[in-house]
This record gives sequence, structure tokens and C-alpha cells, in this order.
Amino acid sequence: MTQVLETEKKTEQVGHSQARLIFGRFVEHKIALVSILIVAFITVLSWSVVGVGSIPGWWHLTYNQLNPLIDGGRPTMSVVPQWLGGEGVFLGEHPFGQDRIGKDYFAMTMRGIQNSLTVMFIVGILATVIGTVIGAVAGYYRGVIDAILMRFTDLIIIIPVIVIGALVGSIASTLGGAIDGPVILGILLGLFTWTTLARLVRGEFFTLREREFVEAARVAGASDARIIFKHILPNAIGVVIVAATLLMAGAILLEVALGFLGLGVRPPDVSLGRLISENQSSFAHRPWLFWWPGLFIITLALCINFIGDGLRDAFDPRQRRFRPRRQKKVLK
Amino acid sequence: MTTHISVTAPEHGTAPVLEMIKVGVEFGVGRDWVPAAKNLSYSIRRGQILAVVGESGSGKSASSMAILDLLPRNSRVTGSIKLDGEELRGLTSGHMRQVRGAKVAAIFQEPMTALNPVFTIGFQIVETLRVHTGMRPIDARVRAIELLTMVELPDPEKAYNSYPHQLSGGQRQRAMIAQALSCDPMLLIADEPTTALDVTVQAEILELLRDLRDKLNSAVLLITHDMGVVADLADDIVVMKDGEIVEAGEVHQIFSAPKHPYTRALLAAVPRLGFGFGPDDATGAIDVSAALMEALEQGPVTTTDRTTRADRPGSPDAALRMDDISVEFGQRRKIKAFKAVDRVSLSISPGEVLGLVGESGSGKTTVGRAAVGLQPISEGSLIVTGRDISHASSKDLRGLRRRVGIVFQDPSSSLNPRLSIGDSIGEPLKLAGEARGKALGLRVEELLDSVQLPRSYRNRYPHELSGGQKQRVGIARALSLSPLLLVADEPTSALDVSVQATVLTLLKELQERMKFACLFISHDLAVIDIMADRIAVMHKGRIVETGSRDDVLRAPANPYTQRLIAAIPVPDPDAQRDRRQLRLALMRTAVD
Amino acid sequence: MLSFIVRRVFVSALLLLGASFIMYILTALSGDPLEELRGSRDPNRDLLIQLRSDQLNLDVPAPLRYFGWLAGAAKCLIPMANSCDLGVNILNQPVTDLIPMALDSTIQLITGATLLAIVVGITIGIVSALRHNTGFDYSVTFIIFLLFSMPAFWIAVLLKEFLAIGFNDFLAQPVISLPAILGIAVVAGIIWQAMVAGPRRRRVIVFVISGLATTALLVFFNLSDWFRNPGLGAVMIAVSAFGIAVLVTGLIAGFKDRRAMTTALINAGLAVIAYFTLQNLFDMSSWATISILVVATLVVGLASGWLVGGDDRAVSMRIGAITAVLSGGLLLIDRFMQSWALYTADRAIGGRPIATVGSSTPTLDGDIWIMGIDTFTHFLLPTISLTLISLAGYTRYVRSGMLDVLDQDYIRTARAKGLDERTVIVRHAFRNALIPLATLVAADIGAIIGGAIITEQVFAISGMGQLFIRSLSNVDPNPVMAYFVVVSIVALIANLIADLSYAALDPRVRTH
Repeated sequence: MTQVLETEKKTEQVGHSQARLIFGRFVEHKIALVSILIVAFITVLSWSVVGVGSIPGWWHLTYNQLNPLIDGGRPTMSVVPQWLGGEGVFLGEHPFGQDRIGKDYFAMTMRGIQNSLTVMFIVGILATVIGTVIGAVAGYYRGVIDAILMRFTDLIIIIPVIVIGALVGSIASTLGGAIDGPVILGILLGLFTWTTLARLVRGEFFTLREREFVEAARVAGASDARIIFKHILPNAIGVVIVAATLLMAGAILLEVALGFLGLGVRPPDVSLGRLISENQSSFAHRPWLFWWPGLFIITLALCINFIGDGLRDAFDPRQRRFRPRRQKKVLK
Repeated sequence: MTTHISVTAPEHGTAPVLEMIKVGVEFGVGRDWVPAAKNLSYSIRRGQILAVVGESGSGKSASSMAILDLLPRNSRVTGSIKLDGEELRGLTSGHMRQVRGAKVAAIFQEPMTALNPVFTIGFQIVETLRVHTGMRPIDARVRAIELLTMVELPDPEKAYNSYPHQLSGGQRQRAMIAQALSCDPMLLIADEPTTALDVTVQAEILELLRDLRDKLNSAVLLITHDMGVVADLADDIVVMKDGEIVEAGEVHQIFSAPKHPYTRALLAAVPRLGFGFGPDDATGAIDVSAALMEALEQGPVTTTDRTTRADRPGSPDAALRMDDISVEFGQRRKIKAFKAVDRVSLSISPGEVLGLVGESGSGKTTVGRAAVGLQPISEGSLIVTGRDISHASSKDLRGLRRRVGIVFQDPSSSLNPRLSIGDSIGEPLKLAGEARGKALGLRVEELLDSVQLPRSYRNRYPHELSGGQKQRVGIARALSLSPLLLVADEPTSALDVSVQATVLTLLKELQERMKFACLFISHDLAVIDIMADRIAVMHKGRIVETGSRDDVLRAPANPYTQRLIAAIPVPDPDAQRDRRQLRLALMRTAVD
Repeated sequence: MLSFIVRRVFVSALLLLGASFIMYILTALSGDPLEELRGSRDPNRDLLIQLRSDQLNLDVPAPLRYFGWLAGAAKCLIPMANSCDLGVNILNQPVTDLIPMALDSTIQLITGATLLAIVVGITIGIVSALRHNTGFDYSVTFIIFLLFSMPAFWIAVLLKEFLAIGFNDFLAQPVISLPAILGIAVVAGIIWQAMVAGPRRRRVIVFVISGLATTALLVFFNLSDWFRNPGLGAVMIAVSAFGIAVLVTGLIAGFKDRRAMTTALINAGLAVIAYFTLQNLFDMSSWATISILVVATLVVGLASGWLVGGDDRAVSMRIGAITAVLSGGLLLIDRFMQSWALYTADRAIGGRPIATVGSSTPTLDGDIWIMGIDTFTHFLLPTISLTLISLAGYTRYVRSGMLDVLDQDYIRTARAKGLDERTVIVRHAFRNALIPLATLVAADIGAIIGGAIITEQVFAISGMGQLFIRSLSNVDPNPVMAYFVVVSIVALIANLIADLSYAALDPRVRTH
């Protein structure tokens, strides 16, 4: 009788999962894509230059060996090709120059980047896992468990991140030696930087657990673990991933700030922040010592922020803007 | 299609207040312009109420926002809009502002969000008055209180000083109307003015709008999806579908002799209290008006058998038995617990459909959730399919899961967006260990067949389905384990009326075939009427009346039930006029 | 409301207690105060170790030692008793003596930076939201990203190297070259036209006008040797004061409100009169006189609004007060400028006024104007670099909050009522967009305090942050704890203020 009215289209096609849609939207975000390439490039570059563990990298100099000063330590790299009137494209003996005592600044910068990235990845993974678990449990169970976990989170949030970082940095340097410096620093920082993420995840769980599909799963007999991991978490993953990206950008900046304050990774190892701190007084004479580490810090942090932005757009396409093909003049 | 439909009745010589000539609205989506309304032409005179009717996506709101030039930026308008003979399109923003609020005023669907939460009602009305009339604040205050009195707010002075959140939904809508009428507009646009309100409140607001129309003699453009509201208020109707006008005409003519097949189908799909589907389906029809007349003659009853009598004692094998159950919420330190459900008793026999009707906040959803073990109860005894779950632990409840199913209200939130349709339907089967692998796939396909969805949909995801289709998936999931009891919590209230009809038909067919007991919850008594064998009426956490469908509709005993029945607008202008009189009479006797 | 405050303070105290325990343990783990002595070759080594161990109570294990420290700290709560005991540092000085000076600098720094970040952030955020998806909006978004990605110390070092040294060098020969003038004018024009937006014709006009105005101003600066002898002068004061009057009226009440405009103009006029009459008083002013003048200005502003306002007294009073205070501020700025030449010529300054280290010039002596300029030149760069840290957050938050609010139904209602855009934005949207900002301020205070550690380090300001870092590297636990207690109390107070303003802004919270 009323079938006439059913205006629903019934076309035969294979479904597109959310993941594929999100990926499709992310790929549209050109800046984020380029950012991923840049971060990947810098990561590969730094590790391959410095080497992993006992395997040496391809660069012939190491970050702690002393070399004779060449041309006052100026960078030897040239990027302007000859046909443009430059000197050609080459690296030279010390592409990024040398510091006051002749260490190769390219090797030092790459080592610093490697340390920063190590800290970033460890903090990113550890804090994300801790924050997600705490946030998920608090948001899902609510009540007393939530109260306890959130008060605990509040306790840690009260202490400014940089203060915790500074303390943790000193602890890391007293513990160092046995374990690799940046690794232990990353682990310690990760233990204290999950708080924002936990709050976000909790908030997301709070709203998601009220959604009817969660109730439906409960009626279907799903266990708590299944509801949390199979039903709620996949829907909260956008929040987690975006927050994790921002967390990683924050971790890089925190690591270099600690290095700048003389905490965290200790000499003879290298930190980008420490490079800047040690060389700020020679800004007038050897500006490159200031610019190289700064350039890489900003590039990394900026790229990771852009990736986060791209992911946010991909997961939450509401704020995308309208770009008409042509804005026809409307007749009045 | 039919492009030049004029609604202007010839007998009135006066110029129309509003004249829409070939108006089109387009929105920018992605990189294209998508039309929301095409070629709209209609006009309204002073004192006339024109209803623009259509389902969601018909473009009925877009055109009215075009009148006020309030469309979002990614839109464009074509055609001509004339107010009192003066072209509105292309007015400078300064001139447009003199039109808005003063000559054309608007009230919107959601009174909570349509009023600014940080200013008092009084301030917002005074602001409108002063911007258009330059009144002194003292005079504006007097006028504002006058307006608040006119819209029959119980305490105008207090309302004047209240913030929107301190008023109820109906009061907010009254304040909104007062604000809209503050400058005596020649045209009032009412965009779904009662959709967010309960049916009894809706009846009052409709009454108010009619009164005001008579008093103020302005033209009213009423935008709605509800045929009952149309029958109650409108003089003329424009029916829209997919952005175009399919039919237009005088209200009686449209209701009694609709020409366009869409209009006919739309009218047929509207549930009518006492009739089941449409006027054609007269089996077991009950004349509700007669019942109300009778109730009116008997006068207000203090107690009746039915209200005081507990629900008939359920047989031990009842699918659901609730004895004096209560549910409390939010007891925290100083805040006193709120009793959402207060000593409710009901029982459903196997294969029976019990309709539970009530307005928002009546506790009906809580009862439904308790029945499937989602909501612990604080007192009473609750026996579901023979198991006592009054104090059940989550382990006890797991055994219950296979015997009950629930269909939720909101199709957009009841399916996990990350799971395919097949996974969603198959989950209960998988968790119960009923089937896995190939067998599971087969069962899922059977279930899709039974809810009349193509089998290929098992690989699709919720965002690729329409609301009605999602609701079918929800039904398939709830029925996957062939439960003894199905709770359907407002399964159609988020759907358009035509889709609602198909979903209800499907549910009824399935119930007749599978013979499960069903607790069917709805705010709409007309929908309950289609589905239910017995009806329970809930009000403020209590069940005020229970009985067979015939008993409750033929002889509603409780005053609240009577008011509820009387408040439901009949999708027929003449019948609705009588019903309105009845409602007023009932209200009067209730006051006396 | 009172019970709300009491409860908040109580919860905060508990949190502080818990957090201080965590801090204490972390501090104890961060190093052994005896380490440096153990390595020394001093003949008294064992004695020194014993002494320090006694002073710092190091025999007791850290978790227990905490309670000893807590008992001392708890005495700070006794009013008037002056029995506060936060322990001693490794040099055996009471920690309570170290705090006041350091706290003073830090509070100045974070207050200035927070206020600046809020005001600038709100302004840019709102303009950016109103110009959604325009060149201006994109530029702002990109700059936000850039600021989010720059280490604070890097910005600070750059400011020091370029702004301070560059400006000081410039002052030796303070003439802007013609190409520079034209460049600045073009940039100013581009920014202004982007902010105004709208049809091309209007943008071109704005570009030309703002470009010409900038050029004229800079040429005037060159000709009058302004950078050596700055000052606003009667003409500039009059123009600016009346400009302020018109702008404030336009924003708050709209140009059509005659009474409001009259009030504002009266106050601007009074400011010009005051400029001529108050100069002598200024010359011999102390901070007390200035405070009295500020209060008097406020009173005059309110009173003029009350007298002129008629039916809309409240609005006129508000406009009167704002105009009075702002144009009064002009007079003060002018007076400070008058002392600038004297200041730069001082032997202690040596013609290089913008300082890069410290919080004041040690050997400088002078009246409040000279000392005021000295504070300004020392705190200018640290404040800017600290502001930049949180500016990005505020801008982004206000921008997205405003976009959200502009999408709300009540904004559509306000437009449907026939209100003009100014009223819709300033009255209806802005007020609602402000509400969530209160929470952000609370959260941001922590970040600013943390950022102050780095800023103080770069600019060698002996504030709380430096106390913390110095003590941490000296393995000196008690000052570290004192730092934590003081800054978290500051942060908690800021939080409380934020909560209260939240309640003030949002009637849904207030009227319960």
C-alpha cells in the first residue's frame, strides 16, 4: 500500500568501510601528505647517517670526533646548480659546517634529530597507550573508578609539563649509562604526559557509551572488553590518533626545551636543544650553529602538526569548506 | 512538473502579503550546486495560513529562509520574492534588516537553541522592539510584558526576568512567539514550530497560534511535516517533494480529494488514531471523538476501576512481568534522587503486543531498558521470560540476552559505524555461539531477507544506508536470536511518515509470523494504535491507565489519557475542528 | 556560590597535597645533594657531608622526609605568625627568603603575557572567524601552526638577536630609509585590506588609505626625530582620544546611539584638557598619585555616562568608563615617552635601551617615569616571547569557538529579528564564544608558568623559573619544592578566577 513512497535507492555495490573513506579524505589533504614524506625522509636520513647501534652510518664522520677546522667552520654544502650561476650541488666535507672545536655539525645535527625522534616515538606510543587505557576505563566504568583515575590525572596535570620534564630529565641522567639516554628519557616522559589524552579519551567514551549501538551490543551479550575494544575504541580512534600526533609534536618540543635547559640527554651525546643553547652566544659569528638545529626542529614539529590537522579533517569532515567550481553571477 | 500553481483565492481582492514567483534555492556541495528547491510559486494574503508540507529533504525550509535572506553563504537564490508588492531579492542588507523582525518574523523548531542562552527573555524581546521602534526602555518593558501576557505565559513578570534554560520547552516557544510578534509583522514564518514539543504542549501552542492569527490578522507561512498540524491550522496547503511543488490547494480540497499520487500516499501513510492505517483500513475502527464526548459527559472522574486496578495478574509464563518496579537516577550527595519510574506494574503474555505511550520524561524508555536488563531497578520484581532479574548480576543477564531483543529509536546511532551491516546483524548470533563462518553468513542473509533488504547489503556500512534501511537492520539484529520478547523503543519517531509506515508494516508482519511478545514504546498514540493489542499510558513515572486497545480508546478513563487523546491532531480539517472543541471542553471541565 | 568556592578551594588543597608528594619523591630521585661533596677533596669532607645531611634531613627516607617538610610548610597557613618554614637550601639559607624577589619578576612576566595573549588572541581569533576562508584566515591559521611548532627558547633567542640588538643599533641613527617606509606601508595596507575584506572596491580603498597613513606617519617620525624624542603631543592625543571615542561607541552601542557618542566624546575632550592641566602634577607623581588619578578617571567616565545616558544609562556608563580609561592611558604613555630621551641618555643605558638580560638596570636611579621605562625595556622581549607561546592557543580556540557560535540557532534568530551585524556579533556571538575561553585560560596558566622557566633562562631574569632550574642542577631539593608550591598556588588561584568568571558569563551555571 505505502510501498510507493519508499524512496530509498537500492543500488548493488560493495560497501566502503569508514577506514577507506577516512584514508581517501586524508590523501586529499596535500599538505599532510607532503608532511608525512618529509618526516619519513628526515627519519631515514638521521638514522642512516648516524647508524643504528654498532652498525655505522654512511656518513664518514661521527658526531663526537674532532676534525681540523676548515674555512672557520662554515658550511660547505651548496645547493645552487652551476647552470643557475651557483657552484653546483654538492655536500662537501662539512655540509652544515663545524662547531668551535671542529666537530662535524651535520653528524651532530643528525644525531640530535635521531635522539629527538626516539624520544618522540617512545613518548607518543607509551603515553598514547597509557592515556587510552586510563581514559577508556574511566569513561566506560564511570562512578568510583572514574573518580579515582581522574583525580590521579588531576594530580599530575597540576605539575607543569616542563617541570615534570626537568625532574624526569635529571632522573634520566642519573639513571643513564645502563640504558640508552634518549630511550630512558622517552619512557620517563611518557609516564607523565598521557594526562591530556586520557581526558580526551574519557570524554569520548562518555559520549560514545551512551550511543545506542553500545547498548545493542550489551543486549547481544558482548563482554565489557569486547564493547570497549570492538565497539567503542574503533569509534574513538580518531580522537586518539589526532591527540597522539599533537602529543608527539609536543614531545619533540619538550625534548629540545629540556636539552636547552641542560637536562635530558647529556653530553657527550647530542640534543638539538643543547646545540642551540651552547651556540646562542656565538650567534653573531657562527649563525649556522643556531639555524640548522632550529630549522629541523621547526620542520619536524610543523610537519607533525600538519599531519595531525590532516588526520583531524579526515576523521571529522564537518569543517571542510565549500569550493564551488565556478561562482556564477546570480541574476537578480 | 506543475509550476504555476497559485493558491490565491479569487474572492479576496487584496494584494498578497507574500508572493513567491519561480523561486529556486541551490546549495554548494563539494564543487557542485545542488538544488534544494526549484521553481516555487505561491502567495499568502493577510489573515491566511499557508502550510508548506513535505518530508525531510523536500526543501520546505530552504525556501522560507530565502525570504529572510538567512541562508548559509554556500547557497544562492533565483526567482522573485515580493513582500507586500515590494521585491525582497537584492535589497541592501540595511533594508533587509528593516524587513526582518518588523515586517517578517520567524519562529523556529527548537526553542532551546533558538533563544540566546546568556540573555533573559525580556532582554531579547526588548531588543527586538527597540531596534525597530526606537522605544524607550521603560515602554519596551511594558510592551514586552504585554506580549508575554498575550502568549499566555503563566507569570509574565517572572518570565521576563528568566533565562531560556529556566523555562520549559512550551514556555520557551511561547516566549519565542512573543518575540516574533513584538513588531506586529505582516508575515510570520513558523518553521516546524511544534515538532520539538510534546503532543499536549503542541496542542496548546497551536491553539495560541490560531488565536493570534485571529487577533493580529497577519499572514502565516507554516512549514511542517505533520499532517495533523496542517489540518489543525492551515487554510491552504503546498505539498513539496524533492524541492518541487507537487500539489497546492485549499485545505479541505487537498485532504478530501488529493490529486497527486504523492499527496495521496502521504495522507494514507499518516497514522490515524482509532483507524490503524488511513481511512480505508476501517477494520476495528474506533470513533475516538465519541469516546471523548462520552468522557466529557461523565465529567471528571476521580477514580475508575481501570486506573486503580493493578494490571491483570500475569500468568506465570508471561513474557514480561513487572511488579511495582521503581528506577531512581542521580542520587549524589545533596541532589535528591529522581524517580524516573515509580511503582510500575505491567505484564505481557507471549505473542502479545503492549503499547506503552507517554510524553517526554514520562519514564517510558526507562521501563523499556529495564525490561531487557539495561537498567537496574531499585525496587519491585522484574521477571523476563520466566527469569527473575530484579537483582541480577551481569552474569545472570547474559543468559537473558538470547531471549530478548531491542530496537532503538535513533537509526543513526543504533548501528556501529565501524561494523558492516552483516557484522552488526551477526553479532548476537556469534556471541551466543549459534553460528559461525558460513552458517553465520547464511543466517545473516536470511535475516536480511526477512526485513526485506537485499542480501548484498551485508557488506555495506551504516553511513551508506537511509534511515529506514538502518532501522530494518536494527530490527533484523534484534530478531536474530528469535527472542521471546522484543522491546521496540520509539522505532519510527526519527523517520519520515512514509518510511514510518513501511517499517511499522514490516514489524507487524514479523510479529504475526514469529509470535514474539512485544513492548512497543512510543510518544505517538496513533502509532501505538496500529501496533498494540493492549495499551498502557505512562505519565510522570507512573502508569495511569492500562487496558486493551478497545477499552482505552473507546472509554479512556484517566483524565490524562483523555487529554492525550484529545491533543493528537486529526489529519482532517473538519474532524480536527470538532476535536479541538472537545479538547477545550475537556480542559475546561478539568479546571472546574 | 560561597559553598562552591569553599568546595573548590578544598579540592584544590587536596590536589596540591597529593601533587606535592609526587613532586617530593621525583625531586628526591633526581639527584643526591651529597654527591658533589663526596667527590670533593676538602679535608673537612666528612664533616661537611654530616652537616648538610643534618640540614636537609637526609638520613630519613624521602617518603617520610616529606612529612617533615609538610609540617614546616603547613605553618605558612597560620596567618600573621610569620612562622613559614620551607626548609633551607644547600647553602643553609631559609628558602622563604629566596622567594619574594623571584616571585615578583615571575608574576609580572606571566600576568603581562597572559593578558596580552588573551587580548591579542581574542582579537585575531574573532577577526579570523569573521573572515572565514579568506586570505587573512588562512594566513592566521598558518601562523598558528608555525607558532605551535617553534620552541619557545628559539623564538626568545631570535627576538634577542634581531629585535633587541637590531633596534638598539637602529637608535644610533634613527632614520627609516625610503624603501623601508614603502615596504612597511605596502605590508600594512595588505594586512588592513585583508582584515576588512568585502568587495574589491572597498579593499582597494582601504589598502590605499592605510598605506598612505602609514607612510605619512613614518615620514613624520623621520622628520621629527621621533625615535629619539618620542611623544604624542597635543594633536596626536586629541586625534587618538576622539578616535578611541568613536571606535568604542561604534563597537559597543553603534554609531546611531547619540547619547553614547556624546558620553564618549565628552570623555575624550576631558582627556585633552587633562593633557594640558596635569603635566605639572605628573612631573612630581608617585605611583600612589597615579592610582588616585586612575580611579578618578574611572569615576568621571562612569559619572558622565550616568548624566548623559538617559534611558540607556548602563551602556553609556560603560562606554564612558572605557573611553576615559583608554584616553587617560594615552596621557600616561605620552608622559613616559617624554622621559625616553632622558632614559636613553643615562650613563647606565648608554643609548641601547632594549635590554636582553635581567629585570632592571642595577645602577639606574630616577623618578617613576624613568624606572617605569626601565621595567618596560627589560620585560618587553620576555613578555613578547612568552605571549607568543600561548597566543596561538587562544587564537585557534577563539576562532573555532566563534565559528561554532556563529552556526548556532540563536544567531539565526538574532539576524531574523533584524539586528545589525555589529549587534549580532558583539552582543550575541561574542558573549557566548567567551564562555569556554575561561576554561582555556585556566589550562593555559600552567603552560605559561612552564614557559616562564625557559624565558627567564634566556633573558637571565632571576625569577621563580630560574630558581627552579638553578636548584635542580645544584641538586638542591627544598627550593625546587618551594617553586612548585608557589607556582601551583598561583595556577590554582588563576583556575578559581577562571571558574568564577565562567559562572559570571554563563547564567546556566550561575542560576542553579
